[in-house]
Amino acid sequence: MNLYAKMIIVLTLVGLISGGCLSVVDLLTRERIELNRQKEIEEAIGKVVPGTKNYTAAVEEKDFTVYKAKDEQENLIGYAIYAKGTGFQDIITLMFGTDPDLNLINSLTILEQKETPGLGAKITNREEFLRFWEDRECGQKLTLRKPAVETKEELSPSEVNTITGATISSQKVLDIVNLSLEQVKSLKNEGKLGGEE
Amino acid sequence: MDLLTILILSILVNNFVLYYFLGICPFLGVSKKIDSAVSMGLAVTFVMTITAVVSWLINHLILIPNNLGYLQIVSFILVIASLVQLVEMFIRKISPPLYQALGIYLPLITTNCAIMGLALLAALKNYNFITTVVFGFGSGVGFTLAIVLMAGIREQLELADVPEPLKGAGIALIVAGIMALAFTGFSGMIQ
Amino acid sequence: MAAKSIGQEYVKGLWAENPVFRQLLGMCPTLAVTNAVINGIAMGLATSFVLILSSLVVSSIKKLIPNQVRIASYIVIIATFVTIADRFMAAFFPPISKALGPYVPLIVVNCIILGRQEAFASKNSVGRSLVDALGMSTGFILALLLLSSIREILGAGTFLGHQVLGEWFKPWIIMILPAGAFITLGILLGLALLIEMKTQRRRA
Repeated sequence: MNLYAKMIIVLTLVGLISGGCLSVVDLLTRERIELNRQKEIEEAIGKVVPGTKNYTAAVEEKDFTVYKAKDEQENLIGYAIYAKGTGFQDIITLMFGTDPDLNLINSLTILEQKETPGLGAKITNREEFLRFWEDRECGQKLTLRKPAVETKEELSPSEVNTITGATISSQKVLDIVNLSLEQVKSLKNEGKLGGEE
Repeated sequence: MDLLTILILSILVNNFVLYYFLGICPFLGVSKKIDSAVSMGLAVTFVMTITAVVSWLINHLILIPNNLGYLQIVSFILVIASLVQLVEMFIRKISPPLYQALGIYLPLITTNCAIMGLALLAALKNYNFITTVVFGFGSGVGFTLAIVLMAGIREQLELADVPEPLKGAGIALIVAGIMALAFTGFSGMIQ
Repeated sequence: MAAKSIGQEYVKGLWAENPVFRQLLGMCPTLAVTNAVINGIAMGLATSFVLILSSLVVSSIKKLIPNQVRIASYIVIIATFVTIADRFMAAFFPPISKALGPYVPLIVVNCIILGRQEAFASKNSVGRSLVDALGMSTGFILALLLLSSIREILGAGTFLGHQVLGEWFKPWIIMILPAGAFITLGILLGLALLIEMKTQRRRA
């Protein structure tokens, strides 16, 4: 057979076999990958809204999702808010949990970050950063306390502590949360979050 | 995220070479003279912008709607390889002087991580169309910036007394490291 | 040129033709994922998977592929294995997959792989190609291991996540940053060349 035909046949065969193999691999792994992603979200929600037995996504946008956290009886026990924003060097992905009235932040967890190791990366550290985010009043905007304080008692209820040497990363986390809170509150006022079912 | 932010991010803060480590081969290979560095940079920027457009189209018009995400790698690399061929032929026909300046660098770009890296990163970041194009253009500019700076330094290094084992790639990498350190200073620019 | 023994075919990948230190190939992933030893090892294994399987396939069907379409065919074969590796990592090792990010798909443009197909697998028997691929893979993993060990120990005081240097050591954060990657690799390349030069001189 002439060269031209051979070229076409070989390329087509290689393409088909490749496509075939890949669709098999896709079938084998697709579910698992989706499950991994869901597990991560579920764990985070359980962390920031303790006692969650069930959850649904009330609002889903590109870098922002609001989950309604519920107990066994399907009562709303809080919101878990997933948000992405610019950090110091790259994107920070986090989730924080609030009470059903959006007045109190239970806690915050960082899902993904690429901040400076040893400095900005400390935002994932409970001892040095995250514990200051527990039980914060978020009726109004939260503020950042600098320079950093030693104990939580020194902070006012709507203040969070900065990390010494990583003020910008700390600020970025705060900005993401404040922005998200604004969005959730206005969504709630517009009735977009649904009833208390 | 507005376009100016993306531009600054891709040129300075998340510089393609000095932050993402993409395009090291051409970066080391073509940075000995400023002229060739500029030509390479322009060629890369050109191809990157087109790749940004094409990869976005493939992803959003073909792959995602048909649930063919797993074919991303294969389709991207094949398209990029053909794209560079086409671009080379196109430039050769349309503008021989431009081909003289850029042409020889284009084949060098095909199998290097810069272009494929751009397609993959753009797909990961999931921007809309215009933002993706700006991202592609900005990344190219960032690459050009890094490679031209490197060429400037290396031209001076030719006259310096570099220890024998470090000549060539060794000293180039160390210089790149210092540049990367300098560029880290751009972090935190985005409010 | 005398044919190499199987043993020599393997060993050359470790030093004399080490893909990173001597051939200067595959530097993008070497710099990008060596901020921690576990990442370096994972990347090394993924790349080896692709290299070994691609070499096996290419060398098995080399006679069937017309010359003009060989590069395109190799690319499709390599890309297929890369996708497989990427998917399996995402499914079964999600935290590592996240840490390595876009660099696993980028194995498809890792010059080591296409380079070996062009230079070796397309011209040698399946057996030899396998050994060559194994050698290159080992060399690559060793290079990644070396670089990531230096960066993790000096940059974080840990090895594979375990503290190895005591409280007295203040980590050199720069090692984890891109700058540290460049500088360390540059110095290692210089050392490799130095050793090579000294060996040459002794032989002469």
